[in-house]
Amino acid sequence: MKSKGLARELASIVGEDGVLWHQEDLMLYEYDALSSLRQPDVVVFPRTTEHVARIVKLALQRDLRIVARGAGTGLSGGSVATEGGILLGFSRMKEILEIDLENQRARVQPGVVNLDLTLAVADDGYYFAPDPSSQKACTIGGNVAENSGGPHTLAYGVTTNHVLGLEVVLPDGKVMHTGAAHWDRPGYDLTGVFVGSEGTLGIVTAVTVRLSRKPEAVKTLLAIYDRVADATRTVASITARGITPAALEMMDGFTLRAVEEATHAGYPKDCAAVLLIEVEGLQEAVEEHADEIESVCRENQAREVRRARSAEERDLLWKGRKNAFGALGRISPSYYVQDGVIPRTRLPEMLEFIGSIESKYDLHIGNIFHAGDGNLHPLIMYDSRDADQSGRVLKAAREIIGRCVEMGGSITGEHGVGLEKVDFMPLIFTDDDLDLMRRIKNLFNPHGRLNPGKLLPTGKMCGELRVERATGGIV
Amino acid sequence: MVALESVHAELASLLGGSRVVTDTAACTALAVDGKTPSTIVYPPTAEHVARVLRCAMDHDLAVIPCRNGTKLAIGNPPRRYDIALSLKELNQVWHYEPADLTISLEPGMKFGDLQQFVERHGLWLPLDPRGGAKASIGGIIAANAAGPLRQGFGGPRDMVLGLKIATTDGKIVKTGGRVVKNVAGYDLGKLLIGSYGTLGVIVEASLKLYPKPAERFTFTLRAGTLFAARDLRRSILRSPLDPLRLVLLNGTAAALVGGMEPGSDQKVAELWVEVGGAARVIERCERELGQLARGAGAAPVRMGGAEADTAWGGISNLPGWLQEKYPNVTVLKASLPIAASEEFLGRAQQEADAGGIPAAAFAQVGVGIIHICLLEVKLIERLGILVTRIREAAGDLGGLLVIEQCPTELKGAVEVWGAPGDDFEAMRNMKSAWDPKGILAPGRLVGGI
Repeated sequence: MKSKGLARELASIVGEDGVLWHQEDLMLYEYDALSSLRQPDVVVFPRTTEHVARIVKLALQRDLRIVARGAGTGLSGGSVATEGGILLGFSRMKEILEIDLENQRARVQPGVVNLDLTLAVADDGYYFAPDPSSQKACTIGGNVAENSGGPHTLAYGVTTNHVLGLEVVLPDGKVMHTGAAHWDRPGYDLTGVFVGSEGTLGIVTAVTVRLSRKPEAVKTLLAIYDRVADATRTVASITARGITPAALEMMDGFTLRAVEEATHAGYPKDCAAVLLIEVEGLQEAVEEHADEIESVCRENQAREVRRARSAEERDLLWKGRKNAFGALGRISPSYYVQDGVIPRTRLPEMLEFIGSIESKYDLHIGNIFHAGDGNLHPLIMYDSRDADQSGRVLKAAREIIGRCVEMGGSITGEHGVGLEKVDFMPLIFTDDDLDLMRRIKNLFNPHGRLNPGKLLPTGKMCGELRVERATGGIV
Repeated sequence: MVALESVHAELASLLGGSRVVTDTAACTALAVDGKTPSTIVYPPTAEHVARVLRCAMDHDLAVIPCRNGTKLAIGNPPRRYDIALSLKELNQVWHYEPADLTISLEPGMKFGDLQQFVERHGLWLPLDPRGGAKASIGGIIAANAAGPLRQGFGGPRDMVLGLKIATTDGKIVKTGGRVVKNVAGYDLGKLLIGSYGTLGVIVEASLKLYPKPAERFTFTLRAGTLFAARDLRRSILRSPLDPLRLVLLNGTAAALVGGMEPGSDQKVAELWVEVGGAARVIERCERELGQLARGAGAAPVRMGGAEADTAWGGISNLPGWLQEKYPNVTVLKASLPIAASEEFLGRAQQEADAGGIPAAAFAQVGVGIIHICLLEVKLIERLGILVTRIREAAGDLGGLLVIEQCPTELKGAVEVWGAPGDDFEAMRNMKSAWDPKGILAPGRLVGGI
């Protein structure tokens, strides 16, 4: 049996307990947060960079595909082995290698959980700024691969703004170091290209990140609206006043009610939308900005503006927001979440458009947005067993993404292209743009052995096979 | 010669005769390290830039893109240099929505003009690059030129949302977009930032803008010793004050910025701290900086408005300004772990003193970028030894050193960029993927890329 022989060879590198190849084990690795797709032939858990290099060389000899996987929380199918082969799990490379507070940096293995890094430096007043909603589970390696964002990236930027350097194993097994532990290493910014490359250029085995100083004061506001349009209008009014909140999130009434049922965070169930707004910084600045934001909300017909009175109240509001996808999972057998981006001034029109799509296709759509940076997460509810409904979902999704692009936006703000949005790439890139990306990919991954089928539409040069789209998923 | 004339004719037919200049004086003005181009072209649009590149590739002619030349001194001498591609005429704003805090514009626009353009909406691009108002947007991006404001806002790498790039095969490609958050496709724009014109020519940039702080004030603190300066820097970075700029000037730099001659009695390092925000924020910063400074034995001096802006302009453009006075000035830029800044400054100062060369230095101590300007140099050999010693000091402290500007003779003796790392092969392949014939600023970047 193919898997068994391969598993034996891999075990000689990482040990018997570092390889999975039985059917029932592989089943756990056939999906990520997008959908269930295909099983790898084998799952292997390296402990060191050297392990990874040896595994990659073995794959090279045997002409096998390799897919790197962190916690599998990705929403675009990026960590699923759509063509089988070796799945490289990073759950044993989860060591924080170095924390250097005076130089505001840390060096970590890719399997370190995002929140664990923040917790490791929190007592000293530091944190790792990118904060995806999955931060309790997702790994820094996955964040690097997807260039992940989160609510607080509005003020602090996404993963790429917080990565200084990488150690990478290339598809030929060579180890390469990009960037440095300081700024401005001369030459091309390969770190900048590897971040967000979705595991298609190399396998990251160590990450040097910047740590940020925790702000002195935080104020969290909840603005409650009876009309969605008033909430969306508020967003641009806040930036027009010259205030950049640390986070500015929107949830519509439909989503709120599901969230409240699930987490009892204290969200009002009878409103049309809320904005969750956070300001951070010096005490004096925070007070002033909070007052100003409150008056902007009221000018835009907020019914009520509440302020979190304690850290517990704040945590509860955020818990509700960060668990929102899960909460909607309670009320619908399946949902499909999108990740389009539009200029934030176009939010009111976009919300109206999504409403019209809801009625056109007879679907329920919950809206959770990183409103401050125009990053939309419409969640389309459906039942994957209903083929007709699934078909309508795809059409609705396509129309929403099309509208984002027409507005000058993007098909993905933080979830990545993965497998899911490969076909949307030509909506925003020309053949010439995509050809250049393929040329860059071919420099590192000429045979398409690393994470095949992801990020780029199948092209003439990669020699990749079109993916068989299997079970019930939405891709 | 006939070949060159036919190329001129081809360029003239592409751009119009008046946009192809072969005048010797004009060409000499754009010489790089003693190499003079035979032609200057002024393409009027992005498409024309692409056509010029295609023509240059067909005829295997070397091109260096430029605008005002504020950063042309940086880099190895070009291996060859035929055409100076001026982006002077590309200065349109294509898209600007103040409430979205984004702008898309052409690379030839001057930084000062951009600031003026967005200021009416209370916005700015918070950079203070070398060349100041005269620097062009394209040049700032191509050189990843950040000044002391990097402390508060990051650099061009953090502000570029998308680029359009003319490539040597005559195409225009896009990377990124106009919105503030976008992970679609490889982030190839990062490659162009700091590529010094060696991969492609930036023909449009979409940038993130920022609300300008209501007020900004600068406090200067006399630091006494470098140890005292280090302690102050530590206290400030650990405090919640969050400065916009934080720079340590050595005595010579402080004297020059203060309008005195180098070598006048100022021997004491000064720490400059800029903070921004509403009046209450500034008051608090002043109070707390005062307390920190009292510990170090001196009261902070407050400066604001045009006076502060002029002084900061003097600091971020110190190398350019010194060059007018000292044409042979050598400018070194060290990149280090933050905490090594003061120690490096001390060691560099010692080396310069031992060599008898006056040095003006300013260190972005919260970022780990230190500029050392060696004012007068008599012997290239001695300069070479001195630069090598200062580079060793940077290496010992976990950083590296780039020679940003020096007499061309030195460039033959000492590596301008320092030694490349184990990612050099990937960089060389990257260069070949974009520019297979090696016609764009050939040889200028690290390792002679």
